[in-house]
Amino acid sequence: MSLNVLIVDDSAAMRSIIQKTLQISGLEIGNVYQAKNGEEALEMLEENWVDLALVDINMPVMDGETLINRIRENPDLSELPIVVVSTESSEARIIQLRAKDVEFIHKPFAPEILREAVFQITGVEHGTSTLSSGNFDF
Amino acid sequence: MKQVIGIADMKISTKADDVLITYALGSCLGITVYDPVARVGGLIHIMLPVSTVNPAKAAANPLMFVDTGVPELFKACYKAGAKKERMVLKVAGGASLQKNEDTDQFQIGKRNFIMLRKLLWKNNVLIKSFDVGENFSRTMSLDMATGEVVLKINNKETIL
Repeated sequence: MSLNVLIVDDSAAMRSIIQKTLQISGLEIGNVYQAKNGEEALEMLEENWVDLALVDINMPVMDGETLINRIRENPDLSELPIVVVSTESSEARIIQLRAKDVEFIHKPFAPEILREAVFQITGVEHGTSTLSSGNFDF
Repeated sequence: MKQVIGIADMKISTKADDVLITYALGSCLGITVYDPVARVGGLIHIMLPVSTVNPAKAAANPLMFVDTGVPELFKACYKAGAKKERMVLKVAGGASLQKNEDTDQFQIGKRNFIMLRKLLWKNNVLIKSFDVGENFSRTMSLDMATGEVVLKINNKETIL
């Protein structure tokens, strides 16, 4: 089973770093989609099968929090595992985000931290993955 | 022999004298697959886009949902001898039950078709032909002798 991943960040450099980290993390990565704001991300989610999203918070056009809210409200996307990757440092804001059932990691991040967060939310490392992407393969 | 497929149901056939048929596709999707070499075909009548809305129901009957039903359809055809690269896939239904699609709050029909497209793209399968949307009911049948798919809409038959 391979995971299709969506990376949402207004920095192309950051998107590349996240992509590379995922690719060397030991996860089996399928298609990687990139969006530079929440609006683009929603369009990609409408068009493509995505198993995991990594989302920045501060972005133009549509920020990450709005994107997460839209995902959670959409019955076809509501269960999507999300890792927030952000410079956000306000503890209150982070708690608010975590309440939306996301993992949170700070930028800048060590690659191992991102890998751990992804393993945590997908359950892949312990063989307890709730991501059933493989079940949808035929 | 006529084989009727109910709601959240599917049938696979290898018999040339079978016709697989499903009635009253509203927002539901009817999906036919047919391998013209192995002469294996199937028809599924699916209700809803994603199994995550009710995992218990999906476990009890995966044919209810697009994301769990379509893989079942393909896998059942493989077991009967079909090959993925030869399978011809056609789709009908996905209508809006409201007169005006914009007032259809749940847009199940539209969401069913979007989910199907995503799932097929993920699995490298293209749709051969489709007739979806609008606000009328469709009857869909697959002739196992020829692979021909016929739609009946308001008593008028067309080949899909």
